[in-house]
Amino acid sequence: MNILELIDVSKNFGGFTAVDSVSLEIEKGRVISLLGPSGCGKTTTLRIIAGFTSPDVGTVRISGNDVGRLKPYERNVGLLFQDYALFPHMTVTQNVAYGLRHRRTPASAIPSRVKQMLSLVRLDGMEARYPHQLSGGQQQRVALARALATDPQIILLDEPLSALDAKLRLELRIELKEILRSVGATTIVVTHDQEEALSLGDEVVVMRAGKIVQRGTPTQVYEAPADKFVAEFVGRSNWFLGSRPKGLGSYVTGDGLEIRAASELPNRQIGADLCVRPENIELVDNATAKTAVDRERNALSGIVLDVAPLGADVHVVVQLAGKTRLLAVRKNVRGTPGLVPGQPVCALFSASDVLVFHDQNAEVR
Amino acid sequence: MITKRNTDALLAFFVAAVIAITAVFLLFPVIVTAFIAFDAREYIGPFPPTALSPKWFGRLFHDPYLWSGFKTSVLLAIAATILAAAIGALGALGISRMSPQWRDLVTTTFLSPLVLPGVIVGFALLMFFSAFIPLPVLPKLIAGHLVITIPYTIRMTLIGLTGIKETLREAALNLGANERQAFFTITLPLAKNGIAAGAIFAFAFSMDDVATSLFLSDFNTYTFPVALISLMRSKFDLTIAAAAVVLMALTVVLLFVLDRVLGLERVIGQDLYRA
Repeated sequence: MNILELIDVSKNFGGFTAVDSVSLEIEKGRVISLLGPSGCGKTTTLRIIAGFTSPDVGTVRISGNDVGRLKPYERNVGLLFQDYALFPHMTVTQNVAYGLRHRRTPASAIPSRVKQMLSLVRLDGMEARYPHQLSGGQQQRVALARALATDPQIILLDEPLSALDAKLRLELRIELKEILRSVGATTIVVTHDQEEALSLGDEVVVMRAGKIVQRGTPTQVYEAPADKFVAEFVGRSNWFLGSRPKGLGSYVTGDGLEIRAASELPNRQIGADLCVRPENIELVDNATAKTAVDRERNALSGIVLDVAPLGADVHVVVQLAGKTRLLAVRKNVRGTPGLVPGQPVCALFSASDVLVFHDQNAEVR
Repeated sequence: MITKRNTDALLAFFVAAVIAITAVFLLFPVIVTAFIAFDAREYIGPFPPTALSPKWFGRLFHDPYLWSGFKTSVLLAIAATILAAAIGALGALGISRMSPQWRDLVTTTFLSPLVLPGVIVGFALLMFFSAFIPLPVLPKLIAGHLVITIPYTIRMTLIGLTGIKETLREAALNLGANERQAFFTITLPLAKNGIAAGAIFAFAFSMDDVATSLFLSDFNTYTFPVALISLMRSKFDLTIAAAAVVLMALTVVLLFVLDRVLGLERVIGQDLYRA
């Protein structure tokens, strides 16, 4: 059953269309990531679901009921704000109990529910503390406990991990998923961080300029992006822009490099933008390359420009003939020969790893 | 020899000197007044006093004219502070919710009495009341004091409200509180400091006011500063010094109480920029 239904929802601010005819259904218990750059409409969509903004057009249904007329306090939607919005003049207990007290929970049931929530987020013992006495991670957990306390039908998380440092982010990400799963909460995570989106969501919905551009599992969105925007926004990518088709399964880039691609555009007359993910590029010396080349693989020779050892990965930038540079990411496995700037090298990647998109800027010949 | 280190040292010394001179300049009248309030001489002689005596305080406490003024002043200050704080708090709340183009206009309107000389306010109110609404003196005095204190209560409350993030109110609404409940449980407690700061200013300016009160007082009802000035004109003696010391002591007590109850740094806005 669909917990949330947005049907053709649009919202304008002045002349600016923040949300453009968005339709979305979410089933009970699913975690959906709403991903997109700043200004794409994801936060406005969140606020429409929570009830702080009402759409100009369209219907919002929660558990089958049209909530368009309902104020925020008449809906049972949990919200975790980006800045946590903990009440500074109240203790942790009072913060978590706030929703319960204002939704007419019997007073006797409140203390046990608060205790249960604090145990869930692993903050037992912090009941009497004030928000300013807690660390960032602890504050986030209190905010989560507070949002979950009223057993909302749907919970909305606004950039939940953005305020945390990298280490904490990883830790809390795992915990967050566990907690959401154990409660069985239907969740929407709004973020501009694609790592956050891919790691938290069962499904990812990518938004741009007020519209939904793609919806799929994290793997689908990463490996089969719907268009150039999604391919570029999600994950890292190398581009051969403005390539022209040449023969079957082959393209020529602007610099004259020939690329073999397994996928085809429906209309071969139009120009194409080609994309290869950095982890699909293998770097070998030119001698080895000669034996590896075949119809299924591409081999482009170039010079190493920069090597950045980032601990677990090594990022290598290779300058190809012409203006194109490639980013290749390889695992830092012991025994792999190191590369140095200035070294000639060959970039290998298979034709099936090349993503092909229409080049909107090309003329139709 | 002119080096960066030398000029730094010179500048540091200069700054310290300016601070010291300013402090002395500000404290000097206070210290002198405190001393001459205990002067035993019947006439105003050269400073320092030759002998000390608390007699001026005795004269102060036994003077019915000054006492009447003092009681009126305190009553007036309390009434004006309560009303100004309430009006200021509600007004500031309304202003904080307005759209930007209206906000500045309304704020400037409410703050405009600050640029008017007190005598103008007093004179204008006197003319207005005489022409349209005859009132006894005390309500007229309250009205006059409200005009001069409301700008402070509004301004201090606005400053306090600005520090309250909008997301806090939204969180309250989201959790099930309606607008009224959100106001009383979230906004008001957090605005408490701003309102209190405004109330302090209101009380102080009300007790201190001379110009406006001069116009609005009459033979039977008058404020303490007005009484002091009249006394100074008729019989210039050191009762005035004693009165000044009493007022200063009152202020110190007030500040002490405030520090205990609210914490003085928060009242003057020290944590204003803390996220």
